[in-house]
Amino acid sequence: MTKYIVQRVLSLVPVLIVVAVVVFLLIHLSPGDPASVILGDEASEESVAELRSRLGLDLPLYRQFFVWFGGVVTGDLGDSIFMDMSVTEAFFSRLQPTLSLAVLAQTIAVGIALLLGIAAARRRGTLTDQAVMGFSLLGISVPSFLLGLFLILLFAVKLKWLPVAGYAPISSGLWNHLRYLILPAMVLGFMQAALIARMTRSSLIEALGEPYIKTARAKGLKPGVVTYKHALRNAFIPILTVIGETFGTLITGASVVESVFNVPGIGQLIVSSIQRRDFAVIQGSILLITVTYVLLNLAIDLLYGLLDPRVKLNGGRGR
Amino acid sequence: MMHRSRWKLFSLALGLLLLLAACESGSNRQQQPNPNSESSQQSDQPSGEPAGGGTLNVAYPANPATLDPHLTTNQATRDVARNIYEQLVTLNKNYEVVPQLAESYEISEDGKVYTFHLRKGVHFHNGKEMKAEDVVASMEKWLSTSTQGQANLQGAKFLQTDEYTVQLTLQKPSLVALYVLADTAPFPGIMPKEVIESAGPEGIKEYIGTGPYKLEEWKTDQYVHLKKFADYSAVDAEPSGLSGKKYAYLDDIYFRYVTDESTRVAGILSGEYDVAFGVPFDNADQIDATEGVSNYFSPGGIVAYVFNKKAGPFANQKLRQAFNTALNNEEALTAAYSDSRFFELDSSLALPSQKDWYSTAGSDKYNLHDIEAAKKLVAESGYAGEEVVILTTRDYPEQYNLAVVAQEVLKSIGVKSRLDVYDWPTVQERRKDENNFDLFAVSFATRATIHQYPFLDSKADYPGWTNSPEIDRLLDQIQASSSIEEAKPLIDELNRVTWDYLPIVKIGNIQNLVAIRDHVKGLDDLIGPILWNVSLSR
Repeated sequence: MTKYIVQRVLSLVPVLIVVAVVVFLLIHLSPGDPASVILGDEASEESVAELRSRLGLDLPLYRQFFVWFGGVVTGDLGDSIFMDMSVTEAFFSRLQPTLSLAVLAQTIAVGIALLLGIAAARRRGTLTDQAVMGFSLLGISVPSFLLGLFLILLFAVKLKWLPVAGYAPISSGLWNHLRYLILPAMVLGFMQAALIARMTRSSLIEALGEPYIKTARAKGLKPGVVTYKHALRNAFIPILTVIGETFGTLITGASVVESVFNVPGIGQLIVSSIQRRDFAVIQGSILLITVTYVLLNLAIDLLYGLLDPRVKLNGGRGR
Repeated sequence: MMHRSRWKLFSLALGLLLLLAACESGSNRQQQPNPNSESSQQSDQPSGEPAGGGTLNVAYPANPATLDPHLTTNQATRDVARNIYEQLVTLNKNYEVVPQLAESYEISEDGKVYTFHLRKGVHFHNGKEMKAEDVVASMEKWLSTSTQGQANLQGAKFLQTDEYTVQLTLQKPSLVALYVLADTAPFPGIMPKEVIESAGPEGIKEYIGTGPYKLEEWKTDQYVHLKKFADYSAVDAEPSGLSGKKYAYLDDIYFRYVTDESTRVAGILSGEYDVAFGVPFDNADQIDATEGVSNYFSPGGIVAYVFNKKAGPFANQKLRQAFNTALNNEEALTAAYSDSRFFELDSSLALPSQKDWYSTAGSDKYNLHDIEAAKKLVAESGYAGEEVVILTTRDYPEQYNLAVVAQEVLKSIGVKSRLDVYDWPTVQERRKDENNFDLFAVSFATRATIHQYPFLDSKADYPGWTNSPEIDRLLDQIQASSSIEEAKPLIDELNRVTWDYLPIVKIGNIQNLVAIRDHVKGLDDLIGPILWNVSLSR
C-alpha cells in the first residue's frame, strides 16, 4: 500500500510540469499586464514601460519562465505584485476561509442529501420520491449567484438574522466565524446536495435490489437495520466518489459564491489576481490547487480501501 | 402532461416565490431627488457640534492597486489616500487653488519661481515634523512618475531654501502650475523623506502622511482600516471642498471592498454598511423608497468618445465631424445612464462650477443629431467603406452601452463598424497600438484645469494621439498668460477649436450615485468623497 501511495504522489510531477507550462503561457500570452493596472488609465507609455522593466516583465518569455519555475522547484513560488507577501503566504492565508466554507457546505450537503436520498430510495415512486427529485433538479439548475442573492435578500435584508456578506476568522469566536459562512455554505451546500442526493438514491435503489437484502428482510430484520447497516454501507462507494468530487470543487474555489458574499477565499484570490494580472499569484495558486486536487483524489481512493475490503490498492480494483 | 402531484409541487414553489417578491416591492413613494449636478450637495449638516467617535463602514467597489498617491489616476487609490496624505496646495469648493501644507506662497515677477512657506509644527503619522526636505523629496518623486507633472511642469525643479521653505523653479511661466500641484489624482501627497529613500523597486513600503487619518491596516482585497490621527494639525479656515479645517469626528473608517454591486446594495439596505459607493442607477428608486437610506449624487466627471486620429478612417477630420453631427447626445446618455437624473448635457470641458475654466464656446457644434448633414460630411470625407473598429469592455457597462450606441450612429450614416469586446486590462493594452481601434468610449474624472485632460496636448501620447498645432498653441498661450482674466478669450478659443478639430466628442457630464444611511452626516464630495467631516448621529 505504501508503494501505491508513493506511486500516486510521484505521478503528480509530470502533471504539475504540464500545468505550469500551460498556465504560464496562457497568462503571459494574453494581453494586459500589471504595470498598466497599477498606474491607471492615463499613465504615459514610458512610465508603464519603466515599471514593467522594474518588475522583470520585459525579459524574454523563456527566461521569465525559467526564473519562475526555478523558484517553484525549490519551493519559492514568488511574490505578489499587489499584496505585500509571497504567493505561498497569500494562498495559505486565503485557504482557511475556503476550507471552512467547504467543510460547512459539505456537511450541510451530505446531511441533506443522505436524508433525502435515502427517503427517496425507500419510498421509490411515491410523492416523496418525486419531490426529492424535483428539488434536486432545482438545485442543479439554479445559478449560484441567483440563489445567493435570494438568500441574502431573505435572511439578511428582510429578516436580518444573518449578515449580508463578509468574513470573520475563527480567532474572533466560533459562532461569529460561522454566522458569516452560513449563507454561502447554504448556497454551495444546496447545489452539492442535489448531486449527492441523486447518487444516493440510485445507488441505494440498486443495493436494495440485491438478493441479500431479500434474505435480510426474510430473516425479520427491522427495515432501519436493513437500510442503514446493510444496504447503505454497500451502496456507499459511488456516493463517496461524488462527495469526493464535490469537495474537490468546493476546495478549489467557489469563485462566484465567494465573490457575492465577499468571502476572502482562494476563488476570490484567483479572480482578483486575473483581473489585476498578478502573474505569480495566478500561476502559484493554480499549481497549489492542482496538488490539492490530486492529493484529495488519493485520499478518496485510500478510503475505498477501508470501506470495501475487496478493493486492493495495487492499481487493480475488484468488484 | 405533468402528474397532478407534480403540478401541486410546482404551484407551491411558484406561490412562495411570488410571495417573497411581493414583500420586496415596498412602498410606492416615488420621490424624485433633485441633484444639483453643478456642485455636489452636502448631506445634512448636524446642528451644533456633532458628537465625535464611531466607526464608518464604507462599501467600495474596487480594490486599490496601491496606496501611493503619486503613481496612479485610479479612483480607488485616490479616495483612500486623500485621508492619509495632504498637499502643498489644494482645491476649495469653487475649484480654486488655496494653500494647505503651505502657509503661503509667492510667485516671482517673471512667473518662473514659486516660493512656498511651509506651516510649522505639522507632524507625520510617525511623529516626525514635516519640513522642507520632506516636501522636496515628495515633489521630486511625484514629478518623476506623474504624466501631468511632466507635461505641464517641464524642467521643473524643487529646491529647499531653508528648513521651512521650498522653491519651485519652472523653465517657463505657467498659469496652470498651481492647479497641477493641486491635482487630485495622481496627487503630490507629502511623505517623509525616509519613506521615499527606503523604497524598493516596487515602490514605497509604508504609507505615512500628515492627514487626519492614518493607515492602521490594509488587508488586500478585503478592507483598508483608517484610524484617527490624534496629533493632526488642522488648517484654521472654514472647510471648503478639499481645503480648510478637517474635523475627523470618526474614530475609524473601514473601506470594505465589496466587488459585487448587488451585495453592496443589500448591505446598505440592511444597515451593514453606512455608505455604499458605485450603486447601480437601477437601484436609485429602491433606495429612495427604503426607510433609513437615501441617494447622494456627486459629479462623476465627463464621458466622451475618443477617436484614433493617427491612423484609420477617423484620422480624417470630416468623418469625425460626421459622427459628431449625427450623434444624439441625450439618447446616448440615456442608453448608458438610464435617466436624466444621472447626467447633464453640456458642451464645455469644465464643469459649470469651475468658474475659471468654464466656457460655452463651441456649443453650436454640440448635440446636433442631424443625420442628413452628417451623411453629407461622410461623402465629403471620401469614406471608402472601411470598417470602423469600436473597442470596448463589459467590465464597465456604461462604456459598453455607449459603444453599442456608436455602432448604431455609424450605421445610420452609412459607415460600417464592429465591436471588439475585451476585459479592461486587455482594452488598456490594445489601445496603445493605432492599428487596433478607431473609437472607444471612456469617462474622465474632473480635472482642475483643462490642460490636465490627456487628450488635448500632442505631447501627451494618450491613445488617440491628438495632433493639432492649433490646440497646442492655445494650450501654451493660456499657460503663458499672467492671469485667468487674460486667458479667458483663449479658453473660449480652445473650446471652439476642440469642437472643430474633434480629438474627442464630449457626450455630457455624469453623476455618481452613492447610497448613505440617514445617520451619516456631513458627507461632501469634490472629485471624490470627502470623509473627514463626516459624523454619525444616533
